[in-house]
Amino acid sequence: MSRLLSLFLITPFLHTWAGNERFLEATTFPQSRSAEERGTQIARQVQDRDTGRDSRSTMRMRLFDRQGRVRERALSTLGMKGGAGRAVPGDRSLTRFTYPNDINGTGFLVWENPEGENERFLYLPSLGRVRRIAGSETQDSFMGSDFTYEDIGGREFEDYTYRLIDDTSRWTAPDGTVHPVFRLESRTRDPKAKFPRVVSLVRQDNFVVVRGEVHNRRDELQKVFDVKRLERVNGIWTVLEMVMVDTLQRTRTELVVEKVEYNVGLTAADFSRRALEQGAR
Amino acid sequence: MSLRVARFIYRWRRWLSGFVVIGAVLLAPRAQIQNIDNDLTAWFSREDSVYQDYERFQTEFGGTRTLILAIEAPSRDRLFSAESFDFLTRLSEDIKRVEAVQRVSSLATATIVDALASTPDGDGGLSVRRLLNDLDTSTPEAIGARAIEDELFRGDLISKDGTVTAVVVFFDESRIDDVRADVLARIRQLVSAGLPDGFKAHYNGSLEITEWYNRVTLDNQLKFTPPIFVLTLGALFLMFRSWRKTWLTFGAILVSLFWTLGLYDLFGMSFNVLSSMIVPLVVVLAVADDVHILQHYGHHRRTQSHEDSFIATVSHLLAPIFSASLTTALGMLSLATSQVVAVREFGLGAATGVMVDFAISIILVPTMLAWVKPETTEIPQETWFIGPLRRVAMFSTRHATAVLAIGAVVVAVSVAGATRLKVDTNHINFFSERHELYTSAQVIDTKLSGIYTFQIFLEGGPDVMQRPDVLARMDRLATELSTLPYVKKVTSLADYVKRVHRELNDDRPETYVVPASSQEIAQELLVFGLGDEGRAELDRIVASDYSRAQITVKLASMSSDLVFVQVNEADRLAQSIFADSGVVATVTGSGRLFSTLDHYLVRSQISSFAMAFLMVFTVIFIVFRSWRFGLLSIPPNLFPVLMVFGVMGWLDISLNVATVMVASVALGVVDDDTIHFLNRYRRETHLGATTDEAIETATIHEGRAALTTAIVNCSAFGVLMLSEYQPSAWFGGLLALTMVVAFLAEVFALPATIKTFPKLFGADAVRRADHTAEVA
Repeated sequence: MSRLLSLFLITPFLHTWAGNERFLEATTFPQSRSAEERGTQIARQVQDRDTGRDSRSTMRMRLFDRQGRVRERALSTLGMKGGAGRAVPGDRSLTRFTYPNDINGTGFLVWENPEGENERFLYLPSLGRVRRIAGSETQDSFMGSDFTYEDIGGREFEDYTYRLIDDTSRWTAPDGTVHPVFRLESRTRDPKAKFPRVVSLVRQDNFVVVRGEVHNRRDELQKVFDVKRLERVNGIWTVLEMVMVDTLQRTRTELVVEKVEYNVGLTAADFSRRALEQGAR
Repeated sequence: MSLRVARFIYRWRRWLSGFVVIGAVLLAPRAQIQNIDNDLTAWFSREDSVYQDYERFQTEFGGTRTLILAIEAPSRDRLFSAESFDFLTRLSEDIKRVEAVQRVSSLATATIVDALASTPDGDGGLSVRRLLNDLDTSTPEAIGARAIEDELFRGDLISKDGTVTAVVVFFDESRIDDVRADVLARIRQLVSAGLPDGFKAHYNGSLEITEWYNRVTLDNQLKFTPPIFVLTLGALFLMFRSWRKTWLTFGAILVSLFWTLGLYDLFGMSFNVLSSMIVPLVVVLAVADDVHILQHYGHHRRTQSHEDSFIATVSHLLAPIFSASLTTALGMLSLATSQVVAVREFGLGAATGVMVDFAISIILVPTMLAWVKPETTEIPQETWFIGPLRRVAMFSTRHATAVLAIGAVVVAVSVAGATRLKVDTNHINFFSERHELYTSAQVIDTKLSGIYTFQIFLEGGPDVMQRPDVLARMDRLATELSTLPYVKKVTSLADYVKRVHRELNDDRPETYVVPASSQEIAQELLVFGLGDEGRAELDRIVASDYSRAQITVKLASMSSDLVFVQVNEADRLAQSIFADSGVVATVTGSGRLFSTLDHYLVRSQISSFAMAFLMVFTVIFIVFRSWRFGLLSIPPNLFPVLMVFGVMGWLDISLNVATVMVASVALGVVDDDTIHFLNRYRRETHLGATTDEAIETATIHEGRAALTTAIVNCSAFGVLMLSEYQPSAWFGGLLALTMVVAFLAEVFALPATIKTFPKLFGADAVRRADHTAEVA
């Protein structure tokens, strides 16, 4: 599965497949298997979930700096899954800022290319033209927030090794309900990665990642991801509110999904340069 | 009164001495002067507006106290090579992992913004990426050339000739001072481990300078304390030819030090570079007091019992030692009003030390002298000095006018020298030209943008920094600042905005301007900040809500007084350019912090010195209850100080944070000599001596003690002149000079003044005046 870049493809953090019974069945591993094998299987199942063909959503992003000052941005996003047998070779996403007014209409289009460099395009209303943007890394900031593209889009399964730390942990949801979770450690194979280790809590009932502890190269806990609201939308478990706290930088980003629709019938034309330019007008 | 106190002390001497010794033993563990407090608040008061400005700035943008690591390659080809870039990449990554390191700025972390060429099917684009990412597609030479072309890197990260590159390390300032030495050592290890052959690493920056201060202080303590003590012991033995007296004096000095430093710590004050000066101060004054006591006691003990000698010595010396200590202590205490925390603590610590030393000298030394056998023959101090001093007294009294005339010439030459005296603290020049801090400053100043920085901190409402008019003002201020002398580079948010605007407009040179609309600026900055590199760059220079921004000004290494002038000029320009803009401009950063600190230090020392000078005359006036003696004390006190300043002026030694301390310590020594001399002179006149006889006796006895003290302290502190750290060398040399001149003033200027004005200071006049005072 190719790397995911848009909100609609927020695989581990936002979505999970509706038919979780399959996973529950598959994860009743024999205890004799190693922690690595069990971890890898859980990660695979999180990764392989059906997240729909496409999606359309609007969301609000609140970015808190280290002084506690907040900036709010509103975005609308379109996402389409790519790959073999699909309309496009790689995932595509189009994100457009709708608030604040001075950046209203600024759009960002990503064509993921499984064979090579991704292509990114930018539309600035003030410039009135589409511009290409040179690529960035998966562990780079997503739209200037504390989330990385990887946090949002999901981790490339093959880029990590996994280990199940324990399967007896509990996670207390914001509404007070308690759920059994897997505590899963993911370590990157990339020696240059900014965040080589993540410890995630994966709900055992629906395989949604509900908490992530992201460690930096000094193995300090740098960022903590938490799910604040999790609901089924169109039968798909969807994280509607989440927060990422950078404990070292003392910054925080809250992301609230205001509206999300799946399988709305988007086509490749909705992710063209023309669409990027025209959609802003 | 003195007699009653002397009898009381004698009666309770064992208890009092026991208390003194036990106290010293208990306080000794606290006298850990090698534990230097590195925190900035050891110097700046938290209430100080300069510190508060810096704190506010630091909260927003992080600290500006950096380590600048300049990597010098043998040639441009070697620097722009895969090997070199690989080293820089690994080094930057490794340093990032070191404790308390917040950020590393180097060619390996540098972000570039480039216009992407237009394609046949559409518009061009924008690339915000790491400079070294291009290694996959470009040659190291081309990347190096690209870095030199970039005005944001040239000077900051790469020299124009491409032979020196900088790695600038920023720290978490809430933690770094606690771990500074280890962190800097660790970074040196990392550099040494991977430095390519033929490359040189130069270390500088405000944090490195501060650390060198600590290293030098500790190194000096380690290197010079043993010879100072050995030479003190040797000189004392040479003067008194008695090991018991020598060890006794040495023991008393140690007890004074333990009490002083122990109490200093007990009062909650922290040790730092400045408080380390308390040690020489206490040693010098303790030697002076103890020599007087040894000399008087020895003289009496030849013919009297221990009890009588004890009481005679203490009763005779109580008033002069107390007065001398009090004047010095009050002078030091005047430092307690300083704006600099370390100076305040030094003042309190030194004042405590001086008075503690007085008590210990007057109690412990005469008590311990009971174990010393009475002298049966003349000691060297008498054999060598009495004859010459008698002749000096005769010369001074017979040729008083000539002595004063010579004195006047010396004063005139000194005043001329003093007018050349500059108030100037150049931390780099404190080190020898061979010292690595000096050579690194040379490299960074000539090849890069200099080692000093200060910032203009701009504060306004949300989004104000995106306004075209505010960015235009930033740009104007940066241009104005660039024209100031010594300013090597100025960087502001406007530079980034202009850069992105140009790159988004196909790299057309005419578009290197601040855009006219807020929307355009907001959108372009949003684009720039979308990636990590751009975001990190923006975080350094502007707040996330665009309510605050900074302009960085880089300077060559220079005297902090010149930095202070630059800072004030920058402030004037900033206030003028940002007037009525809704933006408050404040000059801050490490450059302002440390230049202000030096300014405070010198200013507080000068005002304290003036205060101390007045104090001497006031105390002499009160103690002697005579304006005559107050007046008489002026020439012998003024003369050495003027001469020291004159010598400094002629030798181009500036009045700086190091040398200004000498004046205070010198005055403490000089007024000791004067008070002892005047006390003896007055006593002799009361006993019926003529002016000449009284002068001769005072010269032989008090002059001898002064000469002994001068010899002991000159031989001990003279070794500091060997220090390669100039402030230590100056301190040692100037202290020795002061001791010598103070002695000369006492035995020449003071008697000549008395003789020149007999109606004021002659024996008859003194007797008459004292009689009138007693009757009244």
